[in-house]
Amino acid sequence: MNSTAQKLETSTPIDTSCYADVTDAIRKEAARILADGTVTAVVGYKAGRRAGTTMPAIVTDPAEAGGLIFSPACVNNLALYLTKAKKDVVKKGRIAIVAKGCDMRALAGLMGESQIKREEIFIIGVVCAGVKGSGAVNSEPLTTGNLARKCRECTVRTPEGADLVAGTMPSLPELTPVEALEMARLEAMTPAERWAFWKEQFSRCVRCMACRQVCPFCYCEQCLCDKNRPQAVESTPRPAGNMAWHIVRAMHLAGRCAGCAECERVCPMEIPLNLLNRKMALEMKELYGFEAGLAPQEKGPLSSYKEDDDQSFIK
Amino acid sequence: MHETKEKHDFEPKIVAFVCTWCTYAGADLAGTSRLHYPSNVRVLKFPCTGRIDPVFILRAFQRGADGVLVSGCHPGDCHYMAGNLHARRRFAAFRGLLDFVGVDLNRLQFSWVSAAEGGKWVEVVTDLTERIRAMGPMEEFKALETEECWSGELNSPELQEAYNNI
Ligand code: SF4
Ligand code: SF4
Ligand code: FES
Repeated sequence: MNSTAQKLETSTPIDTSCYADVTDAIRKEAARILADGTVTAVVGYKAGRRAGTTMPAIVTDPAEAGGLIFSPACVNNLALYLTKAKKDVVKKGRIAIVAKGCDMRALAGLMGESQIKREEIFIIGVVCAGVKGSGAVNSEPLTTGNLARKCRECTVRTPEGADLVAGTMPSLPELTPVEALEMARLEAMTPAERWAFWKEQFSRCVRCMACRQVCPFCYCEQCLCDKNRPQAVESTPRPAGNMAWHIVRAMHLAGRCAGCAECERVCPMEIPLNLLNRKMALEMKELYGFEAGLAPQEKGPLSSYKEDDDQSFIK
Repeated sequence: MHETKEKHDFEPKIVAFVCTWCTYAGADLAGTSRLHYPSNVRVLKFPCTGRIDPVFILRAFQRGADGVLVSGCHPGDCHYMAGNLHARRRFAAFRGLLDFVGVDLNRLQFSWVSAAEGGKWVEVVTDLTERIRAMGPMEEFKALETEECWSGELNSPELQEAYNNI
């Protein structure tokens, strides 16, 4: 649903010429910091097996730094590999990570949650004109038609707070905020219509848990949703359990989600998960003036409080 | 002295998650003061509102509650200092989420009832019960419990066709 809706729109190509410079800069910097011992590993992207795809790569040898790339297919949020749950991926020492602006938000969030320390990582920030959305054809260049939904409303194209920022930003064509429009459409519905909408969406969920596995903030070693004594969330892919899973997922990420939309990207059933994340982010902003991951914060909005928080809904 | 019991077509099931230090004691006071309130409410006692996970509310709805009440100590009175202040934020967020997935928030009530407020407990419970009674049963979550994603039929025309095409 996500990708087809965008294809209706006429596509204008997006200037991605800067990605070559970015790739060069990443390679040079990675080789330098690996060689001089600043870091023990670089988490970045390398070309995938099929043309036009990429995959995450962990480089420890300066000679291999030449394999790192940056392209519109670099969709993954690599922050995932730095959490404590992935401690076998990155063993020890200072680690460098290639991060787009949206990935930087997740890094800031993880720092706030004591998953990583700023001094233990080296951030190679990249300027980003956007990455491809789900369903985009590998051989096609990046256009306004196949751009990821999150990239249409991106405000962090040039990351701040990185150790190095690679590349310069090209000018971009006008982009329709597809997701914001979808949000407005949902908000305007009656509760019963929204229930019908989500019921249909969630009924497709196959409970593969890809959305959880890809999320940098779902690093709990034991997920509430896997427990069965007592069982809070039914684990079979049936409507009851699916509804519970999605409510619990959104709730557990409220005030923490970085909005990287990875969960939505990996969903094989094309469930618009980021709408739920976005709703929670809006609530956090309206109620507590909190925005995820702009700077590392010691306490998230749901692990802190103020004496005068709104309680108009409490009798 | 006893009021005559009114007959209703629909008796809602209401689950109340309450903190033991304030609201539970408040409900107790209502009892010892011989105040009347609807017996529709099933009270579950917790150490603090901070212990009441939104997933409990979800579970209550899934298991057939028509309405849920969450009640604890007034701000400043929490036995654990700030359990209720954390809970206040959590529940505000949870309400927003439930509203977004299409749950009618009139089915969910939060309140502060202290150990001395037996009267307020009666009022909160009565109001909620009457409101839910007027709204009728909560069907949404209950319907999900019995639904399956697929028809359950093993020889539907679609499956037959797919099978023949193998
Ligand atoms: S919930 Fe989704 S959008 Fe939010 S941080 Fe996790 S993967 Fe990213
Ligand atoms: S990735 Fe999609 S199908 Fe898989 S559990 Fe998440 S929402 Fe369900
Ligand atoms: S002890 Fe009553 S709300 Fe915390």
